[in-house]
Amino acid sequence: MIEILSTALLIVGAFFYFAGTLGLLRFPDVYSRLHALAKADNLGLGCVLIGLALQAENVAVALKLLLIWPLALAASAGVSYAIARRADSLGIAPWRKEKQ
Amino acid sequence: MIPSLLLRCLLFAVLWWVLAEGRIDGWWLGAIAVATATWASAVLLPPAAHRLRLVQMPGFVWFFLRNSIRGGFQVAMMALRGRSALQPGVLELQLNLPAGGARVLMTSVIGLMPGTLSVELAEDRLRLHVLDVRLSLAAEVGELETRIRALFGVGP
Repeated sequence: MIEILSTALLIVGAFFYFAGTLGLLRFPDVYSRLHALAKADNLGLGCVLIGLALQAENVAVALKLLLIWPLALAASAGVSYAIARRADSLGIAPWRKEKQ
Repeated sequence: MIPSLLLRCLLFAVLWWVLAEGRIDGWWLGAIAVATATWASAVLLPPAAHRLRLVQMPGFVWFFLRNSIRGGFQVAMMALRGRSALQPGVLELQLNLPAGGARVLMTSVIGLMPGTLSVELAEDRLRLHVLDVRLSLAAEVGELETRIRALFGVGP
């Protein structure tokens, strides 16, 4: 049962990583790419970590795995703001959809 | 002052236990690390200087989890549909938060909420990049702000 749940979470996590990377490749400008990376990859990481924590041999190892998530979240939130701010100060205008 | 330092000491001890994966044979090294970490935290972030409302913490964490899952899901769907799903724009808002931790938390957390990304925080004005201007993001951002105000114990 735990095995199945863990595998399902790992697959869901991999899907979000895939979607985040797809966004990185397909989105038109630096700002929207940051959205994809920050949000989708963090959700992917969360799923992968919970999936791995379920298979951990004891509680401490499981908590250690789960601890990675808030640290990565904090780093990702800070870094995406830093990149967006730099892009803005360099005068990179956000991509806009042309009116049909 | 003292209870709050004790609490931190306890937290660092748990953290050590987690990092050592439950092993206790290196306890003396852990004791040094916990003492040093408590001392560093007392110097860098004196207990009285900031006061988070711990009662509000579970509610905030739950709100954050719910919305970051929604945000990740939403942007994943947009990535699958390609750039035709986007209608990006810029949103500027006036923050009703005290300078320092509260504004920094707001700026960072917004990047993980659905459809929003902080571009620039200048004093109390925050400029956001939004993925889809058709979504009613202003209300969601307002809710986050209310939560952060409650967390920092500033007004209703």
